[in-house]
Amino acid sequence: MKAETIPFSPSARVLRRFQGLALAGLLALGAGFYFAPQRAWLDFLMASYALVCLGLAGLFFVALHYATGAGWSVAIRRVPEAMTAALPVGAAGVLAVFLVRPGIYSWYGEHFSTAEGYMGFKQTWLSHPFFVGRAVFYIALWMIFRAVLLRTSRGQDSTGAFAATQKNTAVGTAFLVVFGLSFWLASYDWVMSLEPHWYSTIFGVYNFAGLFESGLAVMALLVVWLRRDALRETVSREHLQDLSTLLFAFATFWMYIWFSQYMLIWYANLPEETLYFIKRTEGPWLVLFAMTALLNWIIPFFLLLPRGNKRNSRVVAWAAVIVLTGRALDLYMMFLPPVMGANPEFHLWEAGAFLGLIGVFGLTVIRGLRQAPLVPVGDPYLPESLHYHA
Amino acid sequence: MNRRMIVASFSTEEDILGVTQAAHADGLKVVDVYTPYAVHGLDTAMGMKRSRLAWVCFAAGMVGAILKLWFEFWTAGVDWPVNVGGKPWNSLPAYVPVTFEVMVLSAGLVTVFVFLVISKLKPGKSPVLLAEGITNDTFVLAIEEEDATFDPVRVRKLFERFNVRSISERYGEEVS
Repeated sequence: MKAETIPFSPSARVLRRFQGLALAGLLALGAGFYFAPQRAWLDFLMASYALVCLGLAGLFFVALHYATGAGWSVAIRRVPEAMTAALPVGAAGVLAVFLVRPGIYSWYGEHFSTAEGYMGFKQTWLSHPFFVGRAVFYIALWMIFRAVLLRTSRGQDSTGAFAATQKNTAVGTAFLVVFGLSFWLASYDWVMSLEPHWYSTIFGVYNFAGLFESGLAVMALLVVWLRRDALRETVSREHLQDLSTLLFAFATFWMYIWFSQYMLIWYANLPEETLYFIKRTEGPWLVLFAMTALLNWIIPFFLLLPRGNKRNSRVVAWAAVIVLTGRALDLYMMFLPPVMGANPEFHLWEAGAFLGLIGVFGLTVIRGLRQAPLVPVGDPYLPESLHYHA
Repeated sequence: MNRRMIVASFSTEEDILGVTQAAHADGLKVVDVYTPYAVHGLDTAMGMKRSRLAWVCFAAGMVGAILKLWFEFWTAGVDWPVNVGGKPWNSLPAYVPVTFEVMVLSAGLVTVFVFLVISKLKPGKSPVLLAEGITNDTFVLAIEEEDATFDPVRVRKLFERFNVRSISERYGEEVS
């Protein structure tokens, strides 16, 4: 047990790489703010939203496993806990966009309301102060739950009190309810309102599916990485298999929801709804559209289907990388088509957003990992987790 | 097939795991192990091969999906073309939900049926209790006496290393 209580310290080389990526990303985005502000701010919003999602995925994983009383995941719980460090950073980015450049939303400003006529409830809902106020409210809720869950979990390291587990079970269960409602609304506000005439009632679930699928992929990558060194003795193939099974399941869930959204709109064929998919399936866009399904589900599904592959670090890492590439493409397809023409474009600013996202996330998650012992040594379920057989 | 078996009872999980592992390593033929609850690691201790049932499930799912997809295409697009909302006759998205359901149904039913067949489970089959207490607190190992080289004394010694509770011999085909 002793090795895991030592604070985690990655090699300087890893840190330098993430710093380099973050710096390169921010420089590229900075150039974008000057040369192509509308596009670059949208890219920045996309990267910040992805960071928020990764943070929330960690928080959701922790809360879910407290709520269900899961024992197996205790040994790897510090990984999703560390991922939540991305939440405040991403939230700051999202709020910066709303305050500095709200003009990337076409509903912002006078011209929209005068050109469209009064739009009723939608106009009230999409008024700038209310919009920012709601964003602050969602973020504040998530931050409060994060603070409580982390403080209780880390406090247990020294006390070993079962009361801490009971408290987090209650808090985690409450968070699941709060998260379900607030993230659903946040995805409507922040992403769907980029195209304010289009609506899809399943959009919140769709965003959750992407959030958790990519969150699990990142978690699997981090676990594979930490298993090479710091967590070698603690985290076994059994944990890896369960994590990959979850990734496998949520890749399928993502596909299910993605297809549900597409099929209902395709079937009903209402002009204001199909517009969204016509934009995304015409000409070269169709290739990218099909690629999202390929990368997010088809490849990882068959890759992770055999039991041996779920227990193989190398295969799991590859599956996770493929899923994350698919996630990047999925985000691109959600955010960027409205500002592009008949052809998909990929400029320095988009590259900067994605590279910066990797760099900043890497740095924040390493900071998160260093804030507490790598294994929750005080958790009463830890022995169960260490002897776990999938 | 008539078989001669040695049936040994043990009291703890550790003993049954240890004796099974030792017997398997010793080259004895482990017929089966009976425990009152699921014991982790027993499958590797017995040297069991991975079940091929998963492949049956995969194949059944694939066959079901392909047949259903073909059937939908043939009924709605070829044999009796149906115009639904002006969409093409062979509209793939409309076929996906039913294809998915039939895939799950055929994979599930075929897997359960194949499992029952290979486990020789059928309605009215009378259960065989190899020893008393295997549904309560006894862990039982059954070993086949294969051929002339089988050495009962050595086997008995091996059992005793793991605090064997009782040993008996059984004949017949009641145990698969």
